[in-house]
Formats: sequence, structure tokens, C-alpha cells
Amino acid sequence: MNQADLQALRNPLLVVAGVALLGALAVYSSGRLMIAARQQLAQQQVQLKDARTRLQKSGDEKDIIVRYLESFRQLERNGFVGDEQRINWLDGLRLANQQADLFGVDYQIGAQRPYLHAAEFSPGPLALNQSVMRVRFRLLHEGDLDRFLVSLARQGAGIFAIDQCLLRRIDTRGVIRYQPNVNAECDLSWITVRVSASGEQKKP
Amino acid sequence: MADKLLIGISAQTVTAAHWHGGKIVECLTFANDEGGQADFKDFLDRSADTPTHIMVDAVEEDYRFETLPHAYGSDRADMVGRKLKQHYRNTTYMAATLLGRDTGKRRDDRYLFSALTNPDLIADWLQAVAARGMPIAGIYLLPVVGAGLLDKLDVKATNLLLVAQHATGLRLTFFRDRQFRLSRLTRGDSGRPENRTRYFSEEISNTRLYLHALRTMTLDEHLTVLLIDRGDELQEEAAGVARENPSLDCVRLGRSELAGRLGINNELLEASPYAIYLHLLGLKAPLSNLAPASTMVGYKRFQARRAIYAACGALSVAAAVWTGTNLYQSVMLSGDTEYAARQTALLSSQYQEITRQFPQAPTSAENLKKTVEIAQRLRATAHTPQKVMALLGRALEVSPAIVIRELGWKYGVTEIEAEGARTLEAAPSAAAPGGAAGQRKESALIDGEVRPFRGDYRSAIITINGFADRLAEEPEVSEVKVVKLPLNVNPALSLSGNTLDNPEQGGTAEFKLLLVFKPPK
Repeated sequence: MNQADLQALRNPLLVVAGVALLGALAVYSSGRLMIAARQQLAQQQVQLKDARTRLQKSGDEKDIIVRYLESFRQLERNGFVGDEQRINWLDGLRLANQQADLFGVDYQIGAQRPYLHAAEFSPGPLALNQSVMRVRFRLLHEGDLDRFLVSLARQGAGIFAIDQCLLRRIDTRGVIRYQPNVNAECDLSWITVRVSASGEQKKP
Repeated sequence: MADKLLIGISAQTVTAAHWHGGKIVECLTFANDEGGQADFKDFLDRSADTPTHIMVDAVEEDYRFETLPHAYGSDRADMVGRKLKQHYRNTTYMAATLLGRDTGKRRDDRYLFSALTNPDLIADWLQAVAARGMPIAGIYLLPVVGAGLLDKLDVKATNLLLVAQHATGLRLTFFRDRQFRLSRLTRGDSGRPENRTRYFSEEISNTRLYLHALRTMTLDEHLTVLLIDRGDELQEEAAGVARENPSLDCVRLGRSELAGRLGINNELLEASPYAIYLHLLGLKAPLSNLAPASTMVGYKRFQARRAIYAACGALSVAAAVWTGTNLYQSVMLSGDTEYAARQTALLSSQYQEITRQFPQAPTSAENLKKTVEIAQRLRATAHTPQKVMALLGRALEVSPAIVIRELGWKYGVTEIEAEGARTLEAAPSAAAPGGAAGQRKESALIDGEVRPFRGDYRSAIITINGFADRLAEEPEVSEVKVVKLPLNVNPALSLSGNTLDNPEQGGTAEFKLLLVFKPPK
């Protein structure tokens, strides 16, 4: 095929190119429409399946609410659910100090951040947070440490986990009297949970 | 069926027919003079861009049968081209048609070489067509076109002589086994009927003698003469030929029979003797095309254009079908989506109706359950230094010489650092975000000394190791490492001192043990 042939066939070639372009455009556009429709159907089917499952399990759901609601309310009251209740923590520290007959507790609370070990509890939509409280206090003897920690847990100020402790004997030069004999320093992680808005139950 | 322009050129007249819808719809005859050419050009102006097939009826024609060595591709084309140039030096209108393979041992190729030896006969007419840019599809000799008549009439005679009266004379074409072998156009007088009978008989006899001379057919062989009588005026001639030549069959085909078997109307048959051949040419073009490549350029481009437009059509149809299928599926999917949405809404309303009877709750049942379970697990899995202190208490009861000065404890992914026991490690709030990988476990660092110590390092080390062994025997303990001893006897390190030093005057036997618990199950 030479230049003259190409020149003679210019218009038909332009037409075929145009037709091919338009055809490809039509096929592509309709294909996109079909893909979009298929995706919408898939999403809708997932929603339908969820709705069906939710309806089927509505009886179980009621049982769960009845069973766990009171415990949940209790956790809300002691500060595990919702915002941090730092005043409650400090009140708890004060009371635990008194009940364990300690010589005062120094504290330092860090900023709240996501709980490092949340994955161990598979929280799903729930957000677990922690605030680390470093406490320094003096003990009459090592056994007071456990008494203090148990007392603090019983105050109902929230839930905490002990990350680390350091006990150091104080040199009293052999004098025996009612005085601090051990310095203690512990890191406690106060853990709270935030229920996401999407998880709130729709009520009529 | 595509439109065609069919043109029959003879020395006296030119017949042009317009082929449309599988038949000739218009047939005009023009005189071979200036006036006829002017009318012909007017006719062409009405048929622009129509592929044109040209048929020539002239005495200036030549046919040769030859066998050539069997060859393929370009070798065959070169060989045939050389033969054509060798036979026909003065014309460009020539063709070679492969008829088949020879029956001999060499199985040579059998060819029919044909040519129009007087190109001037068609030059002006061809020029008129070419000047209008009309694509010339082919140029054929009339006898070759007439071969199609045998198929249409379904003639089965071995030796057949087709005889037809044309304006230019009597055309006699011989076929053997339905294959073209010879054609003659005579210019004899056929005026009166009695002369015409003798004339027909003589020309048929001459043709038989000629065939005998060419060794194509012997005189003894039976011959069938097919007389084309489009005007129903050769009954006597047919009877006369049969009477004068008992060794042949003479079959006359009258107007009505021709019209019925060829599908041509009577008016068309009457209009021109070439109408039959133009009709055959319109139905199927023969293989022996005399037109050179330069004449065919326009037709090749016409064919290419048609092929491209056909491809356009195919593309359009394919795209339309594909697009239609996609749109149909989209509509069906949308319908399914709407149905699923209605079902979802129905189920949701049923669920909402059921939840009205639920106790008032601040969050979903799933969240309630998970929150309570997490709190329970946090409490159940809480770790305190109580375990390590109890374990130390049991070990110290049997090791009264060991004094604990400092105890570090940690519950985490990593063990407590041996050198960091003087202060707690950095609080987790300063650690990198993103969560801790690995399982947490308890570890403790015990900093103590042996008391009393009177400079007996051997004894002190034995006591410390014994203490460490007792700790290691505890089932909850995974590992006990002696981090520091009163005297470092590691051969990898240097050791220095003075034997005159008196350890009893102030020396200590300090040590450090790292205790690692087994991870909780």
C-alpha cells in the first residue's frame, strides 16, 4: 500500500477510527455502569445479610442486654466506661494510703493514649485507652505493697494494671521503730473504654 | 446485492446495463461512434462510483492452452508473467487462468492464456469510465463469460458447440467436458433464411474441421450444438443444421426458454444480444480477467473502502451488542439491588419493631457484652509483684545469708533491664505508639548481698548459686540469670586486685539475679 492508496482511503480510515473510538467508549461506559451496579448489588446484599442476621439474633440480643446491662452500668459508675475519672483515682489513692497505713503517696499521671495491649482483648469497635500513673510511696515492710494495691483496687475508682514496681530497702542503721523501711515506686495503667457512636443502639 | 455497471463492447455497439438487486434493471445500447460515446458518458454520469465490469466481443482475441511445470507463489507468477509477455507483446489486456493439473507423470499445470489483441477497441470507452473515477472490476472476453451459460442451463454434453448470432457475426464457442476450449467469431453473410441455414452449417463444419486439426476433437465424435435463439427466428436453421449434419444434435433455445432458465425478462432479451452475457457477468465474474493491475487500482481501493466500511459495520454491531449486553445486565443488577434494598428495609423495620421491647441500653448488645468481658479479663489477668515476693520468701527461708537490698519487677513484653533497676524504666506514655508485639510475662531483678562476708569469695559464690538454683526449681520460673557476682571470674574479662587487701575490713559480696517467669497460659 503506497501513499496514494492511503490518501484515497483516508476518509474510510478516519471513519473506522471514529467508529472504533465511539464503540470503545460505549463499551467502556456501559461496562463501568455494569461494574458499579454489581458493586451496589454486592453492598446491598451484605446489608441484607446483616439485617437478616440481626433479625434472627434479635432474641439473643435481648438476652445479652438483660444479662450484661447492669454490669455495664456498674463499669460506667466506676469510671471504666467513658471519660477518665482522674479525681476518683486520686480519691482512691488517698483512701488506699489511709487503709494501708502508708506514709503518703506521690503521684504523676501521664497523658491518655491508646492502650498498648488492647489487641490482647480483641476490642472490635471499642476504643481502649490508658493513662500511666507513677506512684512513689514508703512502706513499713514489703507486705504493705500488696495491701496498698488491693486497697486501691477495692476503691472502685476504675480498673488499672500494674506495669512495673521497684522496692528499695532504706538503710535504718539497725534502728528498730515505726518508720519507713522500704521505698516503693510503681507504674499503674488506668484503663478506660470508649464505646463508639456507631455502636450505640438505635432506640425508637 | 451490490450495484454493478456491466458494459459489453463490440466493434459496432456498446451495451451498458445497470445491475441492482441481483438483476439488470436498465440496459441501453450505444453506437460505436462519437454520438454514442457522448450518450455513454451521460449514462456514466448517473452511475458514479459504481464498480464496472467490462466484456468484449471482438475477433481480435486469442486463446492458447499450455502446460507449465508445477510451481507455487512468486515462481509461478514470474513464470506465467514471462509466458504472457512472450505471447502477447502488443497488448496489456491478457490473462492466464489455471485450469488444473495434467494427468501425466509430471503433473504439470494446465493454463488457458487469453488476450484482447486490439486494445484500441476499448480504449475510448475505458477512458470514459476511468475519467469518472469509477472502479474497473475486470475486463473479460465474451466467450469466457458465456461459459457460465452451461451451469445455468445445466448442459451435460461432452462436446458442446454454443452458437449465437451477434451483431458482429456468428459466435461459435466449443466446450469439452464443460470446459472452454475454443471460440470463433465469423463475419459471414446471413441475410436470407435459406442462405443462413447453409451459412450456419458451413461454419459449424468449419469449426469441427478446425477442432480436428487442433486435435481437440475428432470428426467421429458426437457433438451437441446449442443454438441460442433469443428472437425465436432460427427454427428453420436449427432443423436445417440437424438435417445436414446427422452426426450432431442441434438443440435450439428459444426466447421463453432462455428467459425462464436464466431469469431474464423478454424485453431485456429483445433489447440486446449481449443482455444474456451481461446477466451472466452480473451473476458471477469469470476468473480470466484481462485487466492489468494499473487499471484495477481504483477497484482495489473501492474494495478496500468497502472492506473498511464493512469492518465499521461489524465494529458498530459488536459494540452495540456488547454495550447492549452491559446495559441489560446493569438494568437487571439495578433491579436486584432495588429488590434487596426493599428486603433490607423490611427486615430493618421488623427489627426496629422488635427492639422497641428491649430494655433501654446505652449501646448495642454486642458492645455491652464485649465491654463487660474485657473488664472481667483485665481483672482476672491482673499481675502484681506478690508472686515474686512469695517465691523469694520461700527461697530466703533456706538461705539466711542472702540479704535483698532492692527488688525490681515488671510485667511486659520485654524483660526488666538489669542495669535499669535503680530507677523505673520510662513510662509507657513515652513509648512508641502502635501497640506492643509479643506476649507479656513477669520478670524481676534481685539486687542483694551475702551477709556475713569474710572475704571468702568461693563460699559466697556457692551460696549465691545455691540461692539461684532454688529459685530456678520453682515451676513458675522460666529462667534465672546471674547478672553479677562478688568476683567476676569470667575468663573473657580482666581481673585485678591485691592479696594483701583484707576483705574482712569492709568488703561486700554483692550480686544481681534476673528472674524470668513463664508467660501466663
